[in-house]
Amino acid sequence: MPTWRLPDRIGWRDHIIGAALGIAYVVWLLNTAPSLGFPRDEGVYFRAGESYVRWWRLWLSTPVEALKPSAIDGAWSVNSEHPPLMKTLFGVSWWFLHEQLHVFKDATTAFRFPGMASAALAIWTTYIFGARAYSRSAGLVGACLLGLMPRIFFHAHLACFDVPITGMWILCVYIHWRAQRERSIVLAIATGVVFGLCLATKHNAWMLPAACIPHAFFVQRKEIWAGLRSGCLSVPASVVAMVILGPLVLYALWPHLWNDPLGRASAYMQFHLNHEYYNIEFLGKNYFSPPSPKSYLPVMVLATVPTISLALAAVGMGDRARVGAIRLAGWLRTRVHFTQGDGVGVDPAETDLLLALSFAVAVGPFFLPKTPIFGGTKHWLPAYPVLAMFAGHGFTLVRQRMHDVLGPWIERSAGRMGRWGADAVLALSVLVGPLAVTAHSHPFGLSCYVPLVGGTAGGASLGLNRQFWGFTTQSAAAEYLNARAPRGATVFIHDTTWDSWARMQQEGRVRADLRAVGSPSEADFSLVQHELHMNEVDYSAWVAVGTDAPAYVVQQDGVPIVSIYARR
Amino acid sequence: MNGRYPYLKSVGRWSFALVPLLGLVEIGAHFIEIHRRVPEADWVAARLFVTSRSTPEDLVAFAPTWADPLGRMYFGPAVATVAREGRPDEARFPRAYEVSLRGAHLPALADWTREDVSRFGGVTVTTLRNPAPVSILEDLVSLVGAGSPRIRVSRVDGNRESECSYGHGSVQSGGLGYGPAIPGNRFSCPGGGFVGVSVVADLDYVARQCIFAPPSGGGVLRLRFSEVAFGDMLRGHHTLYVEAERGKTGAPVSLAFKTDSTPLGTVFHRDGDGWKPFGFDTGQLKGQRADLIVDISSSGDRRTYCFEAITEGKASAP
Repeated sequence: MPTWRLPDRIGWRDHIIGAALGIAYVVWLLNTAPSLGFPRDEGVYFRAGESYVRWWRLWLSTPVEALKPSAIDGAWSVNSEHPPLMKTLFGVSWWFLHEQLHVFKDATTAFRFPGMASAALAIWTTYIFGARAYSRSAGLVGACLLGLMPRIFFHAHLACFDVPITGMWILCVYIHWRAQRERSIVLAIATGVVFGLCLATKHNAWMLPAACIPHAFFVQRKEIWAGLRSGCLSVPASVVAMVILGPLVLYALWPHLWNDPLGRASAYMQFHLNHEYYNIEFLGKNYFSPPSPKSYLPVMVLATVPTISLALAAVGMGDRARVGAIRLAGWLRTRVHFTQGDGVGVDPAETDLLLALSFAVAVGPFFLPKTPIFGGTKHWLPAYPVLAMFAGHGFTLVRQRMHDVLGPWIERSAGRMGRWGADAVLALSVLVGPLAVTAHSHPFGLSCYVPLVGGTAGGASLGLNRQFWGFTTQSAAAEYLNARAPRGATVFIHDTTWDSWARMQQEGRVRADLRAVGSPSEADFSLVQHELHMNEVDYSAWVAVGTDAPAYVVQQDGVPIVSIYARR
Repeated sequence: MNGRYPYLKSVGRWSFALVPLLGLVEIGAHFIEIHRRVPEADWVAARLFVTSRSTPEDLVAFAPTWADPLGRMYFGPAVATVAREGRPDEARFPRAYEVSLRGAHLPALADWTREDVSRFGGVTVTTLRNPAPVSILEDLVSLVGAGSPRIRVSRVDGNRESECSYGHGSVQSGGLGYGPAIPGNRFSCPGGGFVGVSVVADLDYVARQCIFAPPSGGGVLRLRFSEVAFGDMLRGHHTLYVEAERGKTGAPVSLAFKTDSTPLGTVFHRDGDGWKPFGFDTGQLKGQRADLIVDISSSGDRRTYCFEAITEGKASAP
């Protein structure tokens, strides 16, 4: 009987597995994307993508014209507060996959495709990193659990930057880790280039060196110390590459900087260092200025990441912490007794340290009182691949323990198939829950809270934010307006931007004859997307429309998401 | 220790089973949760029950607060009235029908006496009796809202008092940050300013139906209510629209009550006060009718100010 078994060494077959996981995820996203409306920011990024790709086409056809300052500023001043990579890719995807090749019928699906691909990148990298660092099952389950986080699934649909930076971040950490492990100059250079791509993706990439640089110095501490004793300063190659190549790649990809590099880089930094505080509800209170609550991140992680994933992550982290503690104790003994260490737990690449630093750097700022929290969970998504890898490692440990206890009995009663069956049942027990919660969350991913806190209703009862950015207008149209509004009716579109509304009409998601207006007083139908601070708009609609009774309420699990008022 | 307690070792060996068990519990909890949506029929049955029993003086309220839009939709504006939804407090209602989902209750009704609990599938209607209801003699909000001939509004600038005319215009409203809707039925003042009944989001984003009377340009908005029946107390609340006061940078707003012969008292609303109660002893006017003059003023801009007040008789026995 032929057997199919992967070699112990992680290699190209594993890349096929990682890629397959990523592709499957993209297929899922493409299938669900048409029913997800456009958030505020997306409409702006669509426009920026079109503008940027227009400039690149000009550069390809008439470079002299394209490089004139007026041409650069005309194209690249659109949304210049965010770096260019993803918006450029959104535009390139739109141009080739929609306008030229007609792969995607909808322009917006083409815009969104690079974001989805970056989710695939995150899953692929998590698999391969987890497989190399811990075990194949750790990589596999970790990658699956990453994709089965409802907030990851929601943001992975969007032409935004939060999932892309998650993918880029873990890729950069992975390549940096490989560079340290293999002391490869090529991988060190690749680290610098990928770090530059991170910088060109989202501003939180500037925090990434806080994970990689201390790690590199710790890994190479003996060489650095030996160099210092001989009077020469040795700096890890990947650190040099990050410091030099990172900003260079950002500069090369962002023509907006070319006309006034220092001034515009400074303006970019200042924008994010002094970002205004938007409203966000947390435990029934609306936060709109510092200090931010320190409990925000832990509570939101507990409430939005499937509990089984967190439990497995705790098992995995606990095990790695135990190994680290044993190693630390051994090292201390060598200091006290002047003996040679036994080498227990020694990892030349210091994997656990790197992952711990990567996680800490991604979440750390959200414990600072001045860090805005308005983005909900999306701003710390780069921490989740590491969380998922530890969860995968936790799964491996549980699986080992299961086989230790049940293995002989299973072997006796069902042979090798029995072992596989037990593995499959165990895997299903940890994956089906997150899959069910994630699949059910669509298209209200931001309203989704895990069963631990009582689901969507539990989150609402706790006073946790139900949505932002006004993307649920599409659901209001699908469930009510498209069928019930008279021809030419006016609609107050609340938090939805004009760009997003226009896109939804162009693609037939919202009836084309409906006319958006800017106030409930002008509207035949007024939408109110329920967020705590949006209550003021709700009350305003009562007065303007002449009734406090909605004609229809869009719900998720019986929890109001959008109220629709009809003028009496 | 495991040697003395071998069962501990056995339990430890099986600890891995907690993980699949937790996974199964999460799956089960998810499926239970998503099937707890209350069907429309339950809401309709609850509405029929409440409408058959309640009187206009009763409170009908929904719990938890996130269920409020559903309550308003299913119960309709005749039951879930703006006055009930934007109530100043619960004290003025002798009885309440609390319509709740998932065992939620309104904290404000926690001390009320429970008279009845009726269940309609996923909806529970609890009938509660107010242990200390307030007896209302006059409600200034309803006088302004109805455009009663018993109210006159003027704007006072120094020694000059200009009449503000009552009219029926269109409502002015906007999106986030616009402020409360400016009602269509309102008194409009020469030189700026208006008075009408609107619904304001207070500092806690709770709906408050009140007399929207933003002072502007340093002038005084004067509301004269004629032939007001007085009792033991004049009570009320005042607030600013949440975004106007949450930054705590604005000038205070002064609210002064008097009759032609007697000053009753002045209160100030300072940013951050939220929905702030006030009260004046009117025992000396009890049983009488007199004109009540309300002066509103502030030195600041964007004072989107709103207040409500009642004259109340003796609190009736529970």
